[in-house]
Amino acid sequence: MNRMLRTLWALLSSRALPPLVLGLFLLLYIGIAFFTDETLITLMAIVRRNPLLVALLALLPLNGGCRMVVEISRYLNRRRSIFGYSSPPSGELYHESVELSAPPSFAPLEERLRGEGYNTVKNGQQLAAWRGVTLLPARLLYLAGIFCLLAGILVSLTSRGVNRQEVVEGAPFPAPGGNGGLVRSISFQHGSGWILAKELELEVADPDGAGALHRFGVYPPARFRGAFVYPRYLGVALICRISAPDLPAGYEKSVVLPLYPPGREASTVLSGTPYKLTLTLTVPEDGSDPYTTGKMLFGFKLLKGKELVLTGTLPGGGAFRKDGYVVAIPDYRRMVMTDFVSDNGVLLIWWSAFLFTAALLLWLALHIFLPRREMLFLSRGGTIRAFSRAEGAAMNHAGVFHEALDLLETST
Amino acid sequence: MASIIIEAAGLTKSYGEICALKPLDLSVPEGEWLSVMGHSGSGKSTLLNLVGGLDRPTAGTLKVGGEDLLGRDEDGLARFRREFVGIIFQQHHLVPYLTALENVMLAQYFHSLPDEAEARTALERVGLGRRLKNRPGELSGGEQQRVCIARAIINSPRLLLGDEPTGNLDGSSTTMVLELLRELRSQERFTVVMVTHNQEVADWGDRTIHMDDGLLVREERKVF
Amino acid sequence: MVFLKQIPQFLVWMLLLLLLLRGFPGRRRAVSFWSTGGFALGVAGYLLLARLLPVRVPLGIIRSVMGGSFLLLWGVAVASLYRSTVRDFPLLRLDRFTPLCAMVGSGAAGLMAGGICANQLPAPDGSLLRFLPFLLLPLAGALLAVIARSVEGVVIPSYAATPSSLLAAVVALLLLSSSAAITLDLFSPLSMKVMKGTHDFVHQFMESILIPDHLFIRPEIWGYIGFLFGKEVGFWGGMIIWFTPVLLIALAIWLEPLPSVAQFRQGARRRLLLAAAIREKKHRMVIPALALVAFAAAAYRSSFPSVEYWDPKPLAVTATPAGEILIPRKGEVELEDGRMHKYLYKQGDKEVRFFILMNPSGKLTVDLDACAICKPDGYGQTEGMLLCYYCKTLIPLDTVGRPGGCNPVPVPFRELEDGVHLDASSLVNSWNQTVQSTTRSKEGGK
Repeated sequence: MNRMLRTLWALLSSRALPPLVLGLFLLLYIGIAFFTDETLITLMAIVRRNPLLVALLALLPLNGGCRMVVEISRYLNRRRSIFGYSSPPSGELYHESVELSAPPSFAPLEERLRGEGYNTVKNGQQLAAWRGVTLLPARLLYLAGIFCLLAGILVSLTSRGVNRQEVVEGAPFPAPGGNGGLVRSISFQHGSGWILAKELELEVADPDGAGALHRFGVYPPARFRGAFVYPRYLGVALICRISAPDLPAGYEKSVVLPLYPPGREASTVLSGTPYKLTLTLTVPEDGSDPYTTGKMLFGFKLLKGKELVLTGTLPGGGAFRKDGYVVAIPDYRRMVMTDFVSDNGVLLIWWSAFLFTAALLLWLALHIFLPRREMLFLSRGGTIRAFSRAEGAAMNHAGVFHEALDLLETST
Repeated sequence: MASIIIEAAGLTKSYGEICALKPLDLSVPEGEWLSVMGHSGSGKSTLLNLVGGLDRPTAGTLKVGGEDLLGRDEDGLARFRREFVGIIFQQHHLVPYLTALENVMLAQYFHSLPDEAEARTALERVGLGRRLKNRPGELSGGEQQRVCIARAIINSPRLLLGDEPTGNLDGSSTTMVLELLRELRSQERFTVVMVTHNQEVADWGDRTIHMDDGLLVREERKVF
Repeated sequence: MVFLKQIPQFLVWMLLLLLLLRGFPGRRRAVSFWSTGGFALGVAGYLLLARLLPVRVPLGIIRSVMGGSFLLLWGVAVASLYRSTVRDFPLLRLDRFTPLCAMVGSGAAGLMAGGICANQLPAPDGSLLRFLPFLLLPLAGALLAVIARSVEGVVIPSYAATPSSLLAAVVALLLLSSSAAITLDLFSPLSMKVMKGTHDFVHQFMESILIPDHLFIRPEIWGYIGFLFGKEVGFWGGMIIWFTPVLLIALAIWLEPLPSVAQFRQGARRRLLLAAAIREKKHRMVIPALALVAFAAAAYRSSFPSVEYWDPKPLAVTATPAGEILIPRKGEVELEDGRMHKYLYKQGDKEVRFFILMNPSGKLTVDLDACAICKPDGYGQTEGMLLCYYCKTLIPLDTVGRPGGCNPVPVPFRELEDGVHLDASSLVNSWNQTVQSTTRSKEGGK
């Protein structure tokens, strides 16, 4: 049983596992690419449906976690060996090890190593020397990033749910589960950030609190009842009213049209009649954004079958009359087409980005300025076993290590 | 019995019609300090150049370290100089804009690879542990020559050649340099061939050969 | 003349042999035997398959094996890098399989080289004149093998080949050889796949982490993102995938740990040993460098193929007042000559390019000079194929007229006695839809 567990642990924590699993998925991707141009979407769909592939993918974050345990354990073992708390270390904890005949006198060596800027600790028959800071924190941040990224992908792949809804000013917030409160306002302003050109804010009254408000922006998207509120595109919800010589009673319809940005056309068929109304938002002469100001001027085309019977512009709230036709928009409101995305994987993926950045910065700083270098000399019965390890500035460290060994031998 | 490190037979060197070294037979055991004396133009520097692989003889045979130097091509001779020989000249020939440490590391670079820790140790051994970062212009003549010694021994040569290494030094500096050479030789066990025209300096050797007009005219062995 | 055209292939074959001989120095006889035998078998196999089956079958086999070899190279490159940089990376020791590797590697390389060389010969048609080159080709291959074996020691003096660098060089040379034929080329299809894959990936990535649409993002920032949707990303992404394995192998050699010299108590000796190890590393970089040059040459030949395209200047056509365009069956151009004929129709400020082609099965087809995926850069015709200028996809003439993928968008038409009749408005609509959709997806993003 123990042997089986050990084998399983070796497998799960093996450094060969990630390239193997990723290679397998790459092969699958290449195979799919022969048949479709939407390779990634297809691959994601296949993985989502196949528990074996999901399990295979799950090995990657698991491996990240296991590697963290292995590397912490190795670091602690090395630390214990440096301070003499453990039996002689195995060679694999260090990069270089050598045995030489020399007396157990470390005094000149200790002085020499201190002169080279190393910290030393003498403990009975052993001398340890080190300088710099270990890269372990950077490595752990990196592994944590790997864990978060791959776990995030896994969670996202298997549990993501998207519910697309129209969020309209003055209408109830269409949150999952209903009763989302009233959308108090939708504001759309020029942004001042480096990346976002526009700032969008949905202000929603809290359905449970007296007067409390929820505000939802563009990025990072806020959450509401566990779902991310992810605005996709803008439009206008409006009531259009039409009467025509052959439609004297008139026709009224509430529609939501993707009319933003100005100039974009959208149509609605007036069902039960031969008419189709095509609308656009016109750009005001002052160049302002009608969605921002709320003052909207609509261009319209009224088609009867394929025949254009009326065209013109009318302001929101106004009407256009000509040749017995009347086109009116008595009410209009801003609308944001919004995805309510239930996906906890996103948070993990975001976290991974932070962790990778932190890992990179820390790694660079430590590797360049304070690389960890260690030496350990153990004296046993007339021979000295020496171990060395460097996480950076390896050639310089090797020089010091070799000189230290020369010094030990010449002291005989 | 020590093995023979230099073995020359009928060694001759001519520059056109001028015969700088007339047929010479010489045998130097490993570890010996051989002093070569003579006036200017007596052929002592020519001999040093031949033994150090800096020049090729016109005739004769020359084996150094058991290998026939005449059989080596230019690359082979360069490798021989790099790995087998260390040379100290009367003029220090240090690079003026490099520090003492860098000058020693330069020799390591041409030999194989620079190693700062080892270069530092070498300078400490010649007593310049506190002058590592000084440039040659900031060192005294004796100190400069000690840098040259560190540079010459850094690549662990089996043969150290000196061409009037104390020629520019005052008495106390000369003694200091020679004592240092003696100490290093006892530790490193290299062979020394030193050209000098100063009898006192020559007396530091185990054996002295006297040269005149390209000929070996006399040989003295120190009696302990 | 046929054999003059083969000179570059022969040079590549010679280099391949030299490398294999250098890679397995103890097994020169086996390498010579298996590579020469493989070459002859490759020629024979190609000839047999091309005679019995449509020529796309042997071509497909060669392309698949080349693609597989490239993937194998990627795997080996990653494993090499891990091996050099990760101290506890478990890896099989392959040393004991050297004899097998020499046999299989040489045989497979010879087989592929033979097949590729055979593909360069004029297609066999049963006549002796066409058959003769196929008979002489293996003999030429064997002769070159003999020459290679005799000059190997002189040409490549002391540069050792690691297994990974040997594989890189062999694959690179085979890819260079196959890049001579547009039907065997892998770089351009790779670039196309990268372009489409990147588009797909970026879209999914943005959706996955809820990045807002271009509506909210500064145009200059979106311009950078837009780069990911263009043709250039296909080319540069293809270049990265193309060159990375050999660069990884070079990096793996460079990052290999130096030998431990701590047991020596003389600094000069330690330094000499380390310097020798570094020098040896540099020597081992020579073969990856050679592979890099071969990869670059293959990519160059793929990007600037020496194939001549049939790409006629579009003829201007007009519509009748009823909105019909008539292209006469015979007249200025011969519609049924099997070649692509391009036309240009102008309606106001809009221009529509389309072509008419009789495919090998004898059916006329009318298509836009644009597809539903790429930018409308148009098509050129080469032997048995149309080539999309944008993504370099090859479209067999048999499939022209079918919608989907990178095929030209078919246009409805009527074939009457006098010629081909088209509805001008549906032609313009079809063009508008295609161009609008491709422009939006390539320039604008999601």
